[in-house]
Amino acid sequence: MTESVSEPVATSGPPRMPVTVDVNGVSVSRQVEPRSMLVDFLREDLGLTGTKVSCELQVCGVCTVLVDGRPVSSCTFLTADADGAAVTTVEGLSDGQTLHPLQESFVDNFALQCGFCTPGFLMMSKALLDGDEVPDREAIVEHLEGNICRCTGYEPIVEAVEHVAQELRGGAHG
Amino acid sequence: MTLPPFALVRPTTLEEALRELTEDSVPYCGGTELLLAMRAGLHRPDALVDLKRIPELTGVRVDDGVLVIGAAERHADLAAHPLLLERLPVFARMEKHIGNARVRSQGSIGGNLCFAEPKSDVATLLMALEASVTLVSPGGRRTVTVEEFVVGPYYAEKEPDEILVDIRIPLRAGLRGAYVKFQTMERPTVGVAVLADDAAGWYRLGVGAVGEVPLAWSFGSLEEIDPDDIASRVDPTPDLAGSEEYKRHVTAVYVRRALAKLEQVSS
Repeated sequence: MTESVSEPVATSGPPRMPVTVDVNGVSVSRQVEPRSMLVDFLREDLGLTGTKVSCELQVCGVCTVLVDGRPVSSCTFLTADADGAAVTTVEGLSDGQTLHPLQESFVDNFALQCGFCTPGFLMMSKALLDGDEVPDREAIVEHLEGNICRCTGYEPIVEAVEHVAQELRGGAHG
Repeated sequence: MTLPPFALVRPTTLEEALRELTEDSVPYCGGTELLLAMRAGLHRPDALVDLKRIPELTGVRVDDGVLVIGAAERHADLAAHPLLLERLPVFARMEKHIGNARVRSQGSIGGNLCFAEPKSDVATLLMALEASVTLVSPGGRRTVTVEEFVVGPYYAEKEPDEILVDIRIPLRAGLRGAYVKFQTMERPTVGVAVLADDAAGWYRLGVGAVGEVPLAWSFGSLEEIDPDDIASRVDPTPDLAGSEEYKRHVTAVYVRRALAKLEQVSS
């Protein structure tokens, strides 16, 4: 996509700085306060409310988004640090018609429960599966240990990710 | 929760960064500890001086038998760095298991040391490795050991006008090393580093996370390392991870496990 969105420079209020961020393939230019957190930028400025906020301590993982392919806690990531970067949120997983294989697998494996932690688990899982090696179950569990599901739906979540990993490996195990 | 307002300054040279540091401005890199401290109301700086654009604070190299790691290097990059994997694999393995994947993407090794988080895996292993840090201020440059630098819980011996530039680890040709930890929450209950250079008769043990600061000791042989004796030498802080008695127990258990793991490590 080459769509570009910008807004006029603010003339009053606290000092702001320009940022241009590629969000899910769309280039977005805005003026933000230095203290603007990426999660607030995504949710409030861009209306992308798929990314959730919970602990604000980098512990629970629900606010996970990818910045240049790496998972970060958007609750503790300055929007200014995303200037010039590509940000992928849960809204960027699907093309609007077809679910991402991870989303399909979460549905198939009943890995959703209340759904609040789901965007974070999906984005953490995408970061893992986008790596050089296809992870085994142990690596999946370890990688997802940094995300919390209060419904304790961990087993189906791990199974959903493992299912996609097996498909990436050529379906040898399933 | 919204942070209090601040200015964000982005120097591209060390000299410029030093000029920007004042009583009311602080170095900023990954923000994994600073932004949390600001959110908790513990810090309210007027300005953050972003160190990520300063080339001298990045990169990993070997300089005259010493592994030099730029302070702004992020944990995820260090975990995968070819030079670390080749020359000091125990360090790369430790970096691979810090915090969680998000913290590793964002957090820097220098920030980790400067915040002197008592449960830092990095400080424990670096103390055991007899590593040093380089600090630069407008008055000049100094090198201090990590043991002299990380002196208290959340207290590193760094002046407000100083910047941590790099971490220096002496390399040893025949070094074997293991780092093991026990962790049920976001930070470890105990971390144990054991290092052996048999040719030089150099043996080191570091224990972190149980107390206010990591501790490290030298030994003449691996046989001299008595897990129960080590458990009596640490000074555990009772907290949500366990009582003093419990932490002494897991210390002894993990010293045994570290020694057992070292036996499986060839270099």
